[in-house]
Amino acid sequence: MSFLLEPVDISGHLNNTGISAATDTKSGAFNVWGNSFAAEYLPGGGDLVHVAGVPFRFPPVGDGPDNIRCAGQFLTVPEGRYDWVHVLAAAERRCEDVVETHYADGSVDAEPLRVSDFWAAPAWFGEVKAFESLVMHYPHHVQRGVSAVMWAQRVPVTRRADLTGLRLPRNAAVHLFAVTLQRVTLQRTEAGA
Amino acid sequence: MTYTTTGAEPELWYRDLISCLQATFGTLLAREGADPLAVLGAGWRFLHIPGDVRSEEFYYPCPDGDADLGAALAPHHGLHSRWWQPADEDDLWAEIRERLAADRLVIAAVDNFHLPFRPAYGDVHAAHLVVVYGLDEVRGLVYVSDAMPPAFSGAVPIEAFLRSWGSANPTDVQDAFFSDSRIGRRCLDVWLDAPPAPLTPELLAGCIRADSEIFADAGLAGFDAFAADLVGRCRAGDAGALRELYPFGWGMQAQASLHGELLRRCGREWGDPALAGAGRAVESVAHAWTGLRITGAHGLGDAEAASADIAHHATVLRGRYGEAVDAVTSWRGL
Repeated sequence: MSFLLEPVDISGHLNNTGISAATDTKSGAFNVWGNSFAAEYLPGGGDLVHVAGVPFRFPPVGDGPDNIRCAGQFLTVPEGRYDWVHVLAAAERRCEDVVETHYADGSVDAEPLRVSDFWAAPAWFGEVKAFESLVMHYPHHVQRGVSAVMWAQRVPVTRRADLTGLRLPRNAAVHLFAVTLQRVTLQRTEAGA
Repeated sequence: MTYTTTGAEPELWYRDLISCLQATFGTLLAREGADPLAVLGAGWRFLHIPGDVRSEEFYYPCPDGDADLGAALAPHHGLHSRWWQPADEDDLWAEIRERLAADRLVIAAVDNFHLPFRPAYGDVHAAHLVVVYGLDEVRGLVYVSDAMPPAFSGAVPIEAFLRSWGSANPTDVQDAFFSDSRIGRRCLDVWLDAPPAPLTPELLAGCIRADSEIFADAGLAGFDAFAADLVGRCRAGDAGALRELYPFGWGMQAQASLHGELLRRCGREWGDPALAGAGRAVESVAHAWTGLRITGAHGLGDAEAASADIAHHATVLRGRYGEAVDAVTSWRGL
């Protein structure tokens, strides 16, 4: 079995700032109350990070928007066969919606995207806890005892066709910080040949 | 003199989709030896009462006009509650002393702005509930328990508690959903008619059958009326519709999440995958409430602009309700 893992450039779609520095907590507003992740607990902007073996290109930090608040955007991906879409994501409360997978042959499927709450919550959908800010940033202070969690979740690509793009949910509660595509190739063995 | 309930500090009972309402009731149920999830998750209904929504984290629609929140939260378990306020302005603690001396917990309404352990302390006004389990008038302390993050159990200065308990909870632009609602030193007594019987498939089927009949008679039609009114008001630019959506939706979302979790748990324990699957379908209702509530919260500044997205999420949520009602009524051919 071999794997191809390809981070997707989502920089052109970043539209929300969900990470802030302790010295400038007001610069982030992940949710409507202006709460944000604490930068000091997260990777550096642009770092290549690995979560459960999956590489993600972490978004810019402290330099404008760092995530996509989902609103039906279409992400063009390098055309090819894939099996999984991995995401670094967080939600304003526990949430499930759908991502459309679009293919070169014109077919479109709807696949589930399930993301647990970022607010001191468990991985309700079995995600991997990718990063945890042990404090919550408020516009006017840093709150101890309330963590902010970023999840590593995955979406299946079930159709055996070339993927060309992803249409994100029309759902302001869902935020994506990074996207990586994965292809799994099963190699024929002597026994299985 | 010091008044404290006996035994360990109250259990901090919490789930990520519930509010302080279910959390405080859960804490009291646990102290009575009941399983909070079995009691608070046995019922599942949809009820919207136009004009009734208050900007409080603990708002929940009651068929009898707010007289018995317990019966609304747990209609199958003989759970009851009653709001009260101190009768004597010169002795505000009389009733709390009496209840603590009788080893009973008290739920108190508070304004987070005045409570040192709340994130909103000194910053944002918001109506909230905590459990009072002790009073030390000599040292000037009230002992409170709050399961909502950051969970807290411990002492609060009496003066701070009094400011919080008696707050006018004025309008606060930082929290349009839970401010502008006078706290008024409200408290809740909560009691069970009898210890709940262990949950069996037959008992649960009775709960589901009763709730399904209500869904068929009025619940889904009630949702349709609520959604039509919500979308219509948004299209007309009425931000009040979105201001009400967030606190109202929290109660419906919490109820669906607890019912779904209970059905899933029972399905696993009883080896009944159809029941577990029905529970998951009900949880999907709770998850679809997120899209609607959060879209409304972000759209508060321009309800008309948000109306298309509100309509979309109301449509999605209606679909989830239909699927979930079908799933639970399909269980055992109910």
